Order: sequence, then C-alpha cells, then structure tokens
Amino acid sequence: MTEAPSQFRFVSANRRVREDRRFVAGRGHYVADIALEGMLHVAMVASQHPAARIVSIDASAALALPGVHYVLTGEELAGGVDQLMNGLDTPNVRRYPLAVGRTRYAGEWVAAVVADSRALAEDAAEKVRVVYEPLAYLTKAEEALDPASPPVHPEHGSNILLDRQFVWGEVDRHFAESPRHLSFRVTWGRNSTVPIETFGVVASWDPWRDMLDVWASIQMPKYSDQISRALRIPTNAVRVHQDVDVGGSYGVKRGIKHTVLVGYLSRRLNRPVRFLEDRLENMRSGDAHGPERIFDVDVAFDEAGIIKSMKMRALDNAGAYAGRAPFQLGKPIGAIVGPYKIQSVAYRAQSVTTNKAVQEAVRGFGQSPTNYAIETAMDKVARACGLDRVEARRRNFIRKEEFPYLIPSGTRYDSGDYHTVVEKVLAHVDYDGLLAERDRLRASGLLAGIGIAACLEPSGGNSSFEPLLNEKNTTTTWMDSARITIDGPGFVTVTIHTTSSGQGHETLAATVVAEVLEIDPDRIRVVRPDTLESLPSNSPVGSRMAIMLGGACFHAAQKLKAKLVAIAAFQFGIAPEAARYETGAVSDPASGRRLDWADIVNIAHRNFHLLPPDTEPGLAVTHVMQVPTATKLPEDGRVQMYPCHSFEFHVVLIALDPVLGKPEIRRYVIGHDCGTVINPHIVKGMTLGGIAHGIGAALLEEFVYDDEGQLLTQSFMDYLLPSSHEVPAVEIVHHVTPSPFTVFGQKGSGESGYLGAPAAISGALNDAVDALGIAFDKLPIRIFAISDAVAAARAKQSQEKTSA
Amino acid sequence: MKLDIAGSETIQTDIESLWRALNDPAVLTRCIPGCKAMIETAPDAYKVEMQLRVAAVGGSFEGEIALSDKQPPHTCRITVSGAGSLGHGNGEAKFEITPQEDACLLAYQGVGEVGGLVAGVGQRILGSVSKHLIGRFFTALRKEFEPGQALGAAE
Repeated sequence: MTEAPSQFRFVSANRRVREDRRFVAGRGHYVADIALEGMLHVAMVASQHPAARIVSIDASAALALPGVHYVLTGEELAGGVDQLMNGLDTPNVRRYPLAVGRTRYAGEWVAAVVADSRALAEDAAEKVRVVYEPLAYLTKAEEALDPASPPVHPEHGSNILLDRQFVWGEVDRHFAESPRHLSFRVTWGRNSTVPIETFGVVASWDPWRDMLDVWASIQMPKYSDQISRALRIPTNAVRVHQDVDVGGSYGVKRGIKHTVLVGYLSRRLNRPVRFLEDRLENMRSGDAHGPERIFDVDVAFDEAGIIKSMKMRALDNAGAYAGRAPFQLGKPIGAIVGPYKIQSVAYRAQSVTTNKAVQEAVRGFGQSPTNYAIETAMDKVARACGLDRVEARRRNFIRKEEFPYLIPSGTRYDSGDYHTVVEKVLAHVDYDGLLAERDRLRASGLLAGIGIAACLEPSGGNSSFEPLLNEKNTTTTWMDSARITIDGPGFVTVTIHTTSSGQGHETLAATVVAEVLEIDPDRIRVVRPDTLESLPSNSPVGSRMAIMLGGACFHAAQKLKAKLVAIAAFQFGIAPEAARYETGAVSDPASGRRLDWADIVNIAHRNFHLLPPDTEPGLAVTHVMQVPTATKLPEDGRVQMYPCHSFEFHVVLIALDPVLGKPEIRRYVIGHDCGTVINPHIVKGMTLGGIAHGIGAALLEEFVYDDEGQLLTQSFMDYLLPSSHEVPAVEIVHHVTPSPFTVFGQKGSGESGYLGAPAAISGALNDAVDALGIAFDKLPIRIFAISDAVAAARAKQSQEKTSA
Repeated sequence: MKLDIAGSETIQTDIESLWRALNDPAVLTRCIPGCKAMIETAPDAYKVEMQLRVAAVGGSFEGEIALSDKQPPHTCRITVSGAGSLGHGNGEAKFEITPQEDACLLAYQGVGEVGGLVAGVGQRILGSVSKHLIGRFFTALRKEFEPGQALGAAE
C-alpha cells in the first residue's frame, strides 16, 4: 500500500525527534548510569602477542591487593560456559570470552580481574603475571589462503572459514560475447564505526529468584538467547533491560563475550558486576572491527560502456574468530549488481582467519566495500570507453518502469527512479559548472577531481544470507513487533521490543501510531520493556526499523482502530464497515450519532455489558510482523535478500595541494531516495552522519597492524576520525519513490551516505591524479599516500620531460 | 614493531676502566634508565627490574640481560628481553670499544622488537624515546668517570 505524501498527517511532517531533547540536554540514561548496591568492577589482562601459548598465569600478587575479589582465567571460564556462537558451520573455531590455552591476537583478553573499583582492578591487572610462549602468526588475508600458513585454530584444519563460488547467469558466454574486458583490484581497509560510548554491561544474578538481570549498551538480535545458551541457564532466567540508551553503534555494539564473562562472574561471586571498556579495550579487543577486504573484479562490456557481466572475488580478513564476519560477504549478494542491469555475475566469497582482532557487523554489513568495488568498475569502464562517468552510469541503470526488477542473484528490487534522482542532482549542482570549477582549480595549480557514486541501500533486513552461506541454518523468520494499549483514562502507550542506539525509534513508533489513529503523536508514550515482557523482535539491524517497527506499529494500530470502530458501531447498531472513524471519534454517517474517544475507551474498560459479543475487554493489541518478501529458503544459490532498496547518488568535488596532499572537499551533494520519509530530521541526520563516516573510511580511519602483529592505531591519536575540519557542508537533494512492499512506501535510511561516500571520494581523488598517470586502489587514502604518490609521479614526469 | 639502534659515543676514560664499568651490575643499575635492580643469576646473566614510561603508557617490567661473545676489553654482545603487563620487548646489540687519545670510542649496533600496549600507543614516538633513553644511559655513564666518582664501587 502506498499513498502520496500529501495524504499524511504526521508521516513526513517536519516534527521534532522526541529523543533529541534528553540527548542534547545530557539526560540520556546509559549503562554507565546503572549503579547497583555492591557492584564490582572488571579490568582485563590483555595478550601482548599476536599468537602465543599461555604457559602459566600467576594471579597471586593481584589477589593480594586489598579490594581485589577475583581473577578469572580462560581455563576456568571455558569449564563453566559454552563456546560463543559462530555464524557458519565451523564448530572447531572455538571462541570464549577469554583466551583458552593460547592467544590469537594482540590485545585478546587472557584474564579478568574483579575489584571494588575499576581503578583497583586496573592496578591489579598489572600484577597478573602471564608467561607466554610465542607462536607463529599471520596478519594478511592472502597468506591465510596458503595451506602452510600458521593456523589460528589448529583444530579447524586451515585458516579458511568460507570459500564459496556462486555463478548467477551465463557469465562465460557473456564474457566471450563482450568485445571489451577490464580487470582490477581494490582493497578496503579495516575500519569500523567506533562509537563515542564504548561497550558496557552490568549483570546481576539473584540466586533467590534465579534471575540474571542485564543492562548493556547493546544492539544485537537474539542477545538473551545467546546469553542463556552460553551460561547454560534458561532464557526466562535472563532479563535484559532494554530501556538503556545506547551511545552509538551502527552494528558493533554486540558485546556478547563481555556479557557472558560478566554474567558468569556475577553468578560466581553472587554480586552485581560491571565492565565498561576503556578506549583501548574497545579499540584493540572489543572485537568490533569492520570488514577488511580485497576485491578482484573483472567486467565484460561493450564500446557503449554497457556492462554485461561481472566476476568478483572478495577476500575478507575476518580476524581471529569467526563470529558473524563471513556473513558480511553474504548480505551484499542482495545488491551485487548495484543499481545496474548487469546480466550475470560470478562471485567468490572467501573469509579467512588471521591473528587480528575479531570483526563485528558494521553499518551496511559489507555493502559499502562492495559498492566501492562496483563503483570503481563503473569509473574504469567509463574511462575505457571515453565516456563521462555520469553518462556511463545512466546507460547501465535499471529503468523506472522495469521495477520490480529481478537481479541475477535472486533478489527482486522493489522500486527506484535512478535517472530522475541523477537529473535532479545534476541540476542542483550545475554539473557543467562543477566541471568548469574543477578545471579552474586545476589551472590554478591545484589537483582537483570530481567523484561520482550511485549506490543502493538494501533495507528491511532479514537474514537470508545465513541459510545461503550455511545449509544447516534454516532461518527465514525475522520479525519485529509492537504492542499498543489504551488505558482507562484514554492514554496511549506503545511498547517496542528492542534497544535503540540513537535511531529515533520512539519518534518512529509515535508517528506511525498517531498517523493511523489520527491523534497527536505527543500524546503517545513509547516504552521499551525488558526482554521477558517483550514480544518476539529482532534488533535495529539491516536498516530495517522504519520498515519493520514502522510496519508492526502500523498493523497494530490498524487492529486497535478496528476494535474502536467495532465497539462504536455496535452501539449504533450498524456494521463496522458502515461506521466512520475520524481523529479518534467514530460516527454513523446515516444517523449522525457519534462517540468520542473517551466514550469508546470507557466502554472498553468499564462497560462489559455494552461490548459486542466475543470481544475482549480493555484495549490492548499486538502485532508481530514478518519481513516483507522473505518467504523462502535459498534455491540454487539464489535468494531474496532485503525487501527494499534505497538509492543514493553522490557528487563530490575535491581539491588538494599537490605538495601537501591533504584533500579538501569543496562540494558535497547527495541525491537521496529512501521512499516515503517518516521523519525528515532522522533521515537527514542518518545521511549526514553516514557521509562523515564514509569520509573516515575513505581518507582516515584504519586499524593498522604492523608486521609483528601489533595494532598501531588503538587510540584516537592514531585512529583518525573525521572532525568538523574534514566534514564539509553537505547538500541533500530529496526524491521519493515509494516502495510497494511497505505500509507507507518507506524504505530504510540507517546506512545512507556511508554506502556511497567512500566510492565517491575515491573516485574524486582518482580523477584528481589521473593526469599524473597514477591511481589509488586502497582505502583509506591517507594524506601521506597521496603526497608520496603525487611526488613520485611528478618526479617521473619531469624526468621524462628532461630526457625527451 | 622493530627498532634499529646504532650510534657511537666518546667516553673520557681508558679502555680497561670502561670495560670494567660495562660489566659491573652496580654501574649498569645506575646508568640504565628506570633500572631499579640488577641481580646476577649466572655468570654474565642478570635479572633486572625496571620502571619505565612511554607516552601514555607506564609500568614496571622484569627482564633478563645476558652478555656473550666477550672479547675483553674490546667487544661484547648484549641480549635483553623484558616483559611487563603493558608490553614486552627484546633486543640484541653489539658493542665495540676502540681506544683513542685519552678516551674511548664506544660503537654500538643492534635491533629491538617491542610489542604490547607500548608498541601500539607509543609507536609514533618509540624511535625518539629509544634515542632519548640511550642518551640518558651515556650521560650517566660519562658521569661515572668524572672526577670524584668512586668508579666501579657499589654504593
């Protein structure tokens, strides 16, 4: 069902984001604000070696300090908890919250010290003596493919977690038929989302009630299931409090190892236990790094620049343990051709273990690296054919009338109007003027380039990549829920059943319920109960909440509205279909009789004798919603991935001094189409933040390991985040192509900006240095890499001139 | 991360005195920056306790020092390894002493490897920190040969 935006009361309206007030005023309620009576604190002893056998751990000096309660080792923990879950069927890649027997990356936790305060725990951690016997290690993904490489998990037999070849369509024939081919390699550096608030968790075991209460800075589906499984207690003995504000996540707040550790300690010591990562713990051992990926791409195309077929090999460096990292190679299969009509694709997905920190989900779940590879291909094809890069994209775009469009890997794209978005952006930016400005900058002695990226944001996340990459996994259900109650005095409360990490879910739920019930959103209370009181829901992953929480709220509100109408119609003696609902009141158009909100609510709550037969008293409804279009398991390596596909088109102008090499973004314009926008401020915030994040991935942020396996960028001195100096004013051009699969035509926008910014910035820098005969094929493109490459190229050029 | 260490220093003393000083745990304890104690565990092998700070990281370290390939009073190989909760390191260097007019030239060359937090947090300044520490060592060593110092004597 889709409606034109003008038909909405509150959806798309310029309304305040209700959460902002408490965040801006510093009145959020975070896990660090949880202080329980008798709470103990944890600090970690970290491995200094990328790989080592743990010969002995001597905690006696630490335990001798006053105020120190316990030192937990991996050996004890492994005896008391089950191993953490892997996404793939790799049972011998065993992972526990603490290293057991051997360490697998520098920074990995070897022991946990529990004390009266964090400061005491840190002091005591320094006194734990660990004797290591260093082992052979590796850090590079390509080394890991070698069967002779030192195995991170000897029991697993090799360093290969996943090596899967897909062929969708007639790739060989298309390559043979195509007059032109092109091959290249690009590398996506290991970066992440690095939230301001590090991960934190408080666990409190009550032996008299058999209940483990958990407060955590978490964004994770099936969190309590995993806690209960690892701790071997029933899930109904785990109560996760979801009304904790989460200070940033975009995927990485999945501290399951932290939680299992703290949960175990709380049960062991019968005391509440808290662990809050400091920045170093977060950066080097929070297991929250993002994808690190090498792409080898071949494309087959014709003289007109039409790409017919693509071969892509993606090799991802998962780090020391499997986790869900390999799935980040699976999700992009749902948009493997981007917005283009590429007819066939061969895709090889390889994930390997190395002695680096563990990957976690990061914004886009692998899509941004893949988009960077696809867009690089498009730039190279345009260059090979002598085409303008925008024109090359236009020629390959799926056309508006071709939706829903089935791509070779099995996903049906819902809707899009890429050509119109591009036209609007080009008109806004004055593309010819922008080209002239670039040339003027070049004439003034600067290097200048324009970058273009046209990308998709698959949204409405399901987990179709799980059964696609792991046959033992038969999950097709991926629901979200809402409950709405109207109390006796007539106030509305909506419950949502996951944590929130700044996405504005309270605003979303209130807006949608208000839209359906035609009442003031500010009258609606939105709460997040604990997991034991919750309906089945997943967490805000896969850019899904506008679609899924919005959808669940919509359907629940429809049920509630139907009940209000039924109660009123019964009083009028008419069929519900004959009654008219308007702004909370119900009337009988024939008789002119009317019952107000308060009247109907009163009947529901107090006048059982007036209720229609078989009607439950009170006003409480629930709705559990399945992801649209997700109905089947994969067949022949094909599956319907996410239901909705937002579109973004980036145009960026970058200038830089050829000697300094510091890129300066002169203009940044993004055309954004995420269907019907529910709250414009939230979408704008997501897009601007996503672009800033993308600037980080393109130019600054990288977890760099040296050849000795040590992480060199573990504080903000070395891991550089974009600041106001690097992030320019961004101009957003809006377009709305509603999705046919969602209740208001909305699509996701939680990953917008990030999915195309790295590709666009890379394109701009490559345009800037093209005349020098060089190219950048690895992100991030740091200042020193630019200035070194430019200096070398200019020296070479002047040498050639002299010798000529 | 790897560190290359090389240099040469002129010390105002005769070769025999310098050799004796470099083989005297008491002198070395005074000269090695942050060294708290140096205990002989076997001939030419010592256990050391050190307190050091690099950038934001500071802490105590326990290490071992061994002397080998000795050719008195000219050359010697020194092997150092240490570990603490905040990092670990090891290195090997060769000393060569050449007598000059009323002084000696002490040339050294070696490689070190540093890991753990010290490497991660301090990597950008580790090169200059190591130079600084070596400088402090030689400043202290020169002092040993200044008039009024009880050369080689334990405190």
